[in-house]
Amino acid sequence: MTAPARTTAPALDPLDVAKTKSVKDLKYSSPLIGGRLDPSGKYVFVSAQDNTLQRWDLATGKNVPYSGHSSWVRTLAFEPRSKTLFSGSYAGEIFAWPVEADRPQPRIKLDAHRGWVRAVAVSPDGKTLASCGNDHRVCLWSLPDLKPVREFTGHLCHVYNLTFTPDGTHLVSADLKGIVKDWEVSTGKLVRDLDASILYKYDKGFMADIGGVRSMAFSADASLLACGGITDVTNAFAGVGKPLIVLFDWKTGKQKLLLRPKNAFQGTIWGVAFHPSGWILGAGGGAGGMLWFWKPGEAQSSVELKLPTNARDLDLAPEGKRLAIPFADGMTRIYEIPTK
Amino acid sequence: METCRYACLSGEHSLSRRGFLGGMAAGVASLAGLATPALGKQLEKDQKHVLMIYLSGGVSQLETWDPKPGTPTGGPFRAISTSVPGIQICELLPHTARQMHHLALVRGLNTAENEHGRGSYIMHTGRRQEPAMKYPHLGSVMSKVLGAEHTGLPGYVHISPGGGGGFNKQDAAFLGPRYASVTLGNGKPPENLLRPQGMTDQAEHDRNDLQDRVNQRFARSRRTAETEAYTHSFEQAKQMMARKHLFEVEREPTRIQERYGKHDFGRHCLLARRLIESGATFVKVSHSNYDTHYENFEYHIEQLGEFDQTFATLLDDLHQRGLLKHTLVTVVSEFGRTPTINRNYGRDHWSKAWSIALAGAGIKGGTAVGKTNATGTAVTDREVNGGHVFHTYFRALGLSSTRNFYIDERPIPMADPKAAPITEVLA
Amino acid sequence: MFVSTRTLSRRWSLLALALLGSFPLLASGQNTLSQRIDQMIAASIPELAKKAAPPASDAEFLRRVTLDLTGTIPTTSETRAFLTDRSPGKRQRLIERLLASPEFARHQATLLDVMLMERRPDKHVPRAAWQEYLYQALAQNRPWDALARELLSTDGSDPKNRVAAKFFLEREAEPNLVTRDIARLFLGMNLQCAQCHDHPIVPDYKQDQYYGIYAFLTRVSLFSDPKSKTTMLAEKAEGEATFQSVFDKTKTTRTTGPRVPGRPLLKEPKLTKDAEYKVKPAKNVRPVPAFSRLALLGSEIARPDNVPFQRNFANRLWAQMMGRGLVHPLDMDHTDNPPAHPALLTMLAQEAVTQKFDIRHFLHDLALTQTYQRSSELPSGMQEPAPFLVAQLKPLLPEELAASLYQATGMTDIERTALGKKVAEATLHARVSAATAPLVNVFRSEAGTPEDFQPTLDQALQLTNGNLLRSWLNPRTGNLIDRLTKLKDAGALADEMYLSILTRYPTADERQDLANYLQKPGKDRVAACQDYAWALLTSAEFRFNH
Repeated sequence: MTAPARTTAPALDPLDVAKTKSVKDLKYSSPLIGGRLDPSGKYVFVSAQDNTLQRWDLATGKNVPYSGHSSWVRTLAFEPRSKTLFSGSYAGEIFAWPVEADRPQPRIKLDAHRGWVRAVAVSPDGKTLASCGNDHRVCLWSLPDLKPVREFTGHLCHVYNLTFTPDGTHLVSADLKGIVKDWEVSTGKLVRDLDASILYKYDKGFMADIGGVRSMAFSADASLLACGGITDVTNAFAGVGKPLIVLFDWKTGKQKLLLRPKNAFQGTIWGVAFHPSGWILGAGGGAGGMLWFWKPGEAQSSVELKLPTNARDLDLAPEGKRLAIPFADGMTRIYEIPTK
Repeated sequence: METCRYACLSGEHSLSRRGFLGGMAAGVASLAGLATPALGKQLEKDQKHVLMIYLSGGVSQLETWDPKPGTPTGGPFRAISTSVPGIQICELLPHTARQMHHLALVRGLNTAENEHGRGSYIMHTGRRQEPAMKYPHLGSVMSKVLGAEHTGLPGYVHISPGGGGGFNKQDAAFLGPRYASVTLGNGKPPENLLRPQGMTDQAEHDRNDLQDRVNQRFARSRRTAETEAYTHSFEQAKQMMARKHLFEVEREPTRIQERYGKHDFGRHCLLARRLIESGATFVKVSHSNYDTHYENFEYHIEQLGEFDQTFATLLDDLHQRGLLKHTLVTVVSEFGRTPTINRNYGRDHWSKAWSIALAGAGIKGGTAVGKTNATGTAVTDREVNGGHVFHTYFRALGLSSTRNFYIDERPIPMADPKAAPITEVLA
Repeated sequence: MFVSTRTLSRRWSLLALALLGSFPLLASGQNTLSQRIDQMIAASIPELAKKAAPPASDAEFLRRVTLDLTGTIPTTSETRAFLTDRSPGKRQRLIERLLASPEFARHQATLLDVMLMERRPDKHVPRAAWQEYLYQALAQNRPWDALARELLSTDGSDPKNRVAAKFFLEREAEPNLVTRDIARLFLGMNLQCAQCHDHPIVPDYKQDQYYGIYAFLTRVSLFSDPKSKTTMLAEKAEGEATFQSVFDKTKTTRTTGPRVPGRPLLKEPKLTKDAEYKVKPAKNVRPVPAFSRLALLGSEIARPDNVPFQRNFANRLWAQMMGRGLVHPLDMDHTDNPPAHPALLTMLAQEAVTQKFDIRHFLHDLALTQTYQRSSELPSGMQEPAPFLVAQLKPLLPEELAASLYQATGMTDIERTALGKKVAEATLHARVSAATAPLVNVFRSEAGTPEDFQPTLDQALQLTNGNLLRSWLNPRTGNLIDRLTKLKDAGALADEMYLSILTRYPTADERQDLANYLQKPGKDRVAACQDYAWALLTSAEFRFNH
């Protein structure tokens, strides 16, 4: 097969994604839910099914628990200037924590949503925090005091995810039914809806909704938006469906590609990330765990790495070398992508 | 006599008194046992009802009646206080929590059966499955012992979330098809309830009148229990047809419909109340689906989100209308769900330690009996099984739970003789 | 005349002649079985002649015997012809003609099917093949003992007679289920309770009797042949029937060899370990033992000299015709539940042997009795139908009801006309059963349970508002409503309606009532006829064989 020349090819070549390997295992006693590398690159923070957050020092392996939430935390975000970590819990709380502290206590405890907080995101300028949750609300809070700024009204079901555009002018939120909303941050105005409803299904036999935008990321140049989740569900109660990333051309708002694993897999894309080189990474969990790599412009993954068990999230360090995956078995595994 | 108490648990004898080649029969009531309008009126006043809410697939006890927050098995939900001090339930049931004073929780259920069909059988019959014996559903039993024939409605109505309707003879087992269940698929009236299009009231009346005259002539010299049973079945059909409006839930005031919830389960529970208010003996409403091997918590938010307000409204509405004291309410599943959360955020089948809720007739509201350990994996206090639950149903309805059915003079205990009532929840 | 006889194939005509010749068995001077039955009954009831109901009218008899022997009501023209016929011996001729008809074989095959299979789904043996098998057995007048032997010893490995293994196969060869049903259906003994202990209430029924039959079956299992993809029975050479009584506090385990109640223990050859098998058990191989217990089960149960087998035959055929078994329930033949007439059942059981278990012959003799031919109308002073004194009402089997509704509404006549002069019974039957199947489904018993009569709401709603009966009552050339509405004279219309539906002429009152109804203001003639026909079709008089 002769591959057409690609403009991004030079940037891709030095990476040897096929040799991505685990370099550090950080073991915790409770299954993990979400995780983020802190912007300084010193720590990884993960959340666990015992309501705690865990801070791991990547160099020393030292562990510091963050206790205080009254339910599970799925979402973490950082404000680098003030070295603050924000966490949103399934009890509706948003806590602001010091990134570096030996005995961390929340600086602020905000009762933000009714029901689950599904996602929080810090604006690129560090002045606001956005949150969304099961109460259908998308909220903007001022930083550092977490006072309400405005609400973005329009979702009609659980809001699963949100992120700012890299320039910070727009906020993008996505819900259970795969409706992606593009909001103007300064006015709260809804600009447009994008359609990721392929990530949702109402299972008539089971009589329940399944799906939602479980993971979301912008490419650094803001040209692409990736929304990950599960599609083609044939059996909701056992979660029988296929992982899928819907890739949007952000400018037009149209679907550009549907990224699927090359080899059949049953499960959900729980984490998605853009590598600076252009590769798109997805981590999935269902019948086991898997990490996929898609070349830009290709719908089918070209490299896949079998993971020890279900991946629950994915975070890629900005330099693109290191990534962290929290797992259903309580492990946080750090991977490195070598260059050729 | 011990042999009677033990009984050979076989219903086959009931089935034996029929024809060689199928022709003859004796399975109908004697003439004296048939309904008369006067008797019907008298019974109506003391009529007891049973309402079963069946959470299909196996609802999680941890997300409902026996929360274990802050433990490895607890999941993300918190426990909340209820209208009864000292009793907490899962935060997914805020409306139900305010009705706790009507409810009795049985938290020590161990039914030891993790398969859907067999678990369902236990919760519908109070027995474990046996190879050559089928027991009747509670609905069929109630249809018989509570005298459903006097109500002009089918004795055992099952409002199912979707799918087709129909009559299910197998549910009645040895009690016979007159105690069969009638499934109202998505709350739709039974098949053939509505008279053919184009037929007028007058025409319907005329031909019923003719049929009566023909039957009366025949009965002059050939009246038997069987001919009476046959003509009675048309009488039932007529009564049922005359009450077709019962199925028209939209006749209820908008305010009521909204309180119940404008979704299928809301409509179905409102239909259940209409039926019970009109004298129906046993109504089962199924809510689907709780078989949450995957995303247990998401699904419980969604399903209990429908269940909670609707169920709380139903209890309150029954209470306000004075029906609750005559109506035994039971909320069951085929089993509970594993305390251990699997890697897909699911919970699997768990019958060793789970819970049900009871309310209404004969039930002591505001109680909780039975305990499980800290992680909910085992019963530590007052362990009961399906047999105990059935004894409790009978006693709550003012019936002896050690009575027998007699089939060809052979006693078949109405409830498992190895179990006994859960007296702590009885009023 | 009779459609059935007119359309007999040549083979049928020959068989009919042979059968007609075979009934008068006894030399003159000896009493027939029918006479002896009536004599024994008369001898047991003082002043029987005073108490008993009078003989059934011709119309009552015609409907009754046609339903009992062919499973449907007679056609309107058959009824008219029979009621007009004034010649002596017409009832006996009718009985013999019906017994010789293919409709008899078809109906009796249906009755056997319902009894043996109890509406189980056809998972292993297709329905059509099974029904054809039974039909041929009846058409060829195979004796019941021979048929029973075949049913109870066929393992299904030979494609030629695999159909006969249906009794086992559809019960998944589950030894308890098969044991129970063999005892119930072939011996009139419900040993179900003796599975776990001697029967608590019936001293005659012992646990070792149950396990004696079980021992024939415990080595048998269902085998799926990898080549033909069909299921058949496989039998091992080892495995004993062991049992404990749940009442036995010492928990003694007992064992029994194969043995049919009332028979000695089966003699089994002593075989060395390596001579036990013709084909040894292996993966995907059907074992064949050198000595097969199963092969002898049929001949042990269905032995002509096996008294329970004889009594069961006599009692069940009696019940089929008379509406109630001499032993009742049919499968509770034991000392504490004596027959309504013990000597009569003993005599009939012996007679079954003499007649070589000939179903047709036995039914013929029952049909000829005065007992069978009594009216079903209660004589004055009788409160409830007394045994032997008045004919019992029999609810129609679902198939009988459906076929009768189809006949009464004239729909069967339309099918006959469409099939033309060469209408073959099998073709007509196939059409009628296809058209009436939805109705049968509403009325039939649940799979795995015997047919029972329990009128239910869904059945009543089906007849009241269902599409099927309603469509049969829409006028179509040649059907009842079409014929009725073409009759100008109200009296002729009443005759046609009553003869077609209830197999009798209307009384004067009924004639007047119908005439009045036709005059009802605002009611057109079609609607009036539909209303009236519906009322008759759904009446108790129609629902029962009386």
